Amino acid sequence: MWDAFISLMINILLFIYDLIGQNFGWAIIIFTILVRVVTYPLNARQMKSSKAMQELQSSKKWQDIQKKYKDDKETLAQKQMEIYREMGISPFGSCLPLLIQFPIIIGLYQAIIRALAVTPLQLVNLSKHINDGANLIPINSQFWWMELSEPERLPIFGIGIPILAILVVITSYIQTKMVSPTGGAPADGGQGAQMTQAMTLYMPFLMGYLALTFASGLALYFIATNLATIAQYVITGQANFKNILPKLPNFNRQ
Amino acid sequence: MTKTKKIVFITIIALLALGLGACTGRRIVASGWSGVTANEETVYFAYGPQAYAVSLKNGTQKWLYPLEPENGVDFYAAPVFTPDGDQLILASYKNEIHSVNPDNGIKNWSYSVPADSRSAVRFIDSPLTTNEGIFAPASNNTLYALDSDGALQWEYQTGDPLWASPIWSETCQCIYQVSMDHHLYALDAESGKLLWKSEDLGGPIVNPPAISESGLIIISTFNNEVIALDESSQEVAWSFATNDWAWASPLVDGEQVYISDISGIFYALELATGDVLWQIQPGGGIYDAPLVQGELIYFSTDASSLVVVNQDGVVQRNQPIEGKLYSGPVSAGEKLLLAPSESEYYLIALNESGVQAWGYPPAGN
Repeated sequence: MWDAFISLMINILLFIYDLIGQNFGWAIIIFTILVRVVTYPLNARQMKSSKAMQELQSSKKWQDIQKKYKDDKETLAQKQMEIYREMGISPFGSCLPLLIQFPIIIGLYQAIIRALAVTPLQLVNLSKHINDGANLIPINSQFWWMELSEPERLPIFGIGIPILAILVVITSYIQTKMVSPTGGAPADGGQGAQMTQAMTLYMPFLMGYLALTFASGLALYFIATNLATIAQYVITGQANFKNILPKLPNFNRQ
Repeated sequence: MTKTKKIVFITIIALLALGLGACTGRRIVASGWSGVTANEETVYFAYGPQAYAVSLKNGTQKWLYPLEPENGVDFYAAPVFTPDGDQLILASYKNEIHSVNPDNGIKNWSYSVPADSRSAVRFIDSPLTTNEGIFAPASNNTLYALDSDGALQWEYQTGDPLWASPIWSETCQCIYQVSMDHHLYALDAESGKLLWKSEDLGGPIVNPPAISESGLIIISTFNNEVIALDESSQEVAWSFATNDWAWASPLVDGEQVYISDISGIFYALELATGDVLWQIQPGGGIYDAPLVQGELIYFSTDASSLVVVNQDGVVQRNQPIEGKLYSGPVSAGEKLLLAPSESEYYLIALNESGVQAWGYPPAGN
């Protein structure tokens, strides 16, 4: 089942690669955007649930019960569930679409790495996934200054600078900040707020670490997916620019 | 954050890292398969971060090279001797060719390809060693010619990666190098000058061709085809359509040539015409050349088996071996050596009846 899914992704990726003149870097970018378009309903649902959850957590009612039952976790949980029911919000509404996307992210990355096939065992593996494709072998894994099968460093004055990893950290940070409520998480010290703060802080660095140590095809995918997500938030009017530029006039629809 | 949420958060992060890392080039446990060379006393092979010398008699270890694995340096190509037998040449997946003393595994010299951010240089197959020098094919499309002290003499660039060892032609007195760019190149060994280049052979070529005494160069291609080029006219003498990619090198045996493909079909062709004499499909893909010993032909498959057939194509033995067999069997003394992947042994030695004489590393290690 998983192998069939990976085979499908590899064949689509190689189809795009062939279609655009055998440039694997652009194939990754186009494929990432395509996957974002296909999974748009899931993303939209997640965005909607996240927004509802953020609004709820900023509400007076929510903050009041946090204060009132701060020493009674069991009752607090009961009251929170009551509010969820009352407002028709599922606490897992924003997690479920994310979890469904999880195998897609892993599958996309595995497809990228398997398609590159820069060693004999990788090529044996690839040969079992592609229908024909001998005319595409070897895949051209060079893109701008990068070798997509290797971690990326741009030599500047003899020092290898990990440009992609830096871009991954920046775009991940912008993306995470853009979806957070203005002024940061609610000051109620709630669990959801703490989780959001932790994600905002750690996630960009985790992504940056992965981009630094793994094949640069992954870093390119991270950047493409971050930019696609930012674009999606901007287009749907849900981007919160004030978190990035606090002095910006409030022109969001929020 | 509560303890439970912390655990959930860390688990998600760890799963993401594991999922992504599971098949990353840098993180793969083995990215190639072991190449084996042997003389009357010692078996030399490379697998992962180290190359090994073990006793042919009982499989005890003689030396390891390097003593401690170096980060990112892997060896898979079969070690090769220089013609004088004084040096053993090891090709690595990280930019380097090493020369070691075959008696003790002490390094003589190493040659490093200058780093380039755009290309990772891997030496996938063994160098060719002749009296003219050491000729190492690399994944950055380049054939490097070194002298016996490891100094660069010349380099020759093709259009795509070089995964196959070059071969020496007595007729041409030159080197033949096949490339993934679909061509065969005839090069002067002394200067690296191109003597001639074949027409486009239709698909990538990842293993060395075979040369017959009659002057045919027989080449396996990924275009589901095996092609015979006439050395003197450089024209295609015949071609044979296989069922799938022809990955393994052909083997010339008298008036026959044995070829195979990755769907697992093993063919015997008439050397002069390319007409099929017989074919069998015992199961599993075939990725390396067969071995002929007396009246029997041995080849390995990735369906974990060593197949023995007679010269009429009748299977004599289909012996299960633990692990996947991508590299072909090697004969040494009265033993048959196999280097399985995904097995508890890196190397096993079978006696004439097919019974395992020893395995390396010894069981329990």
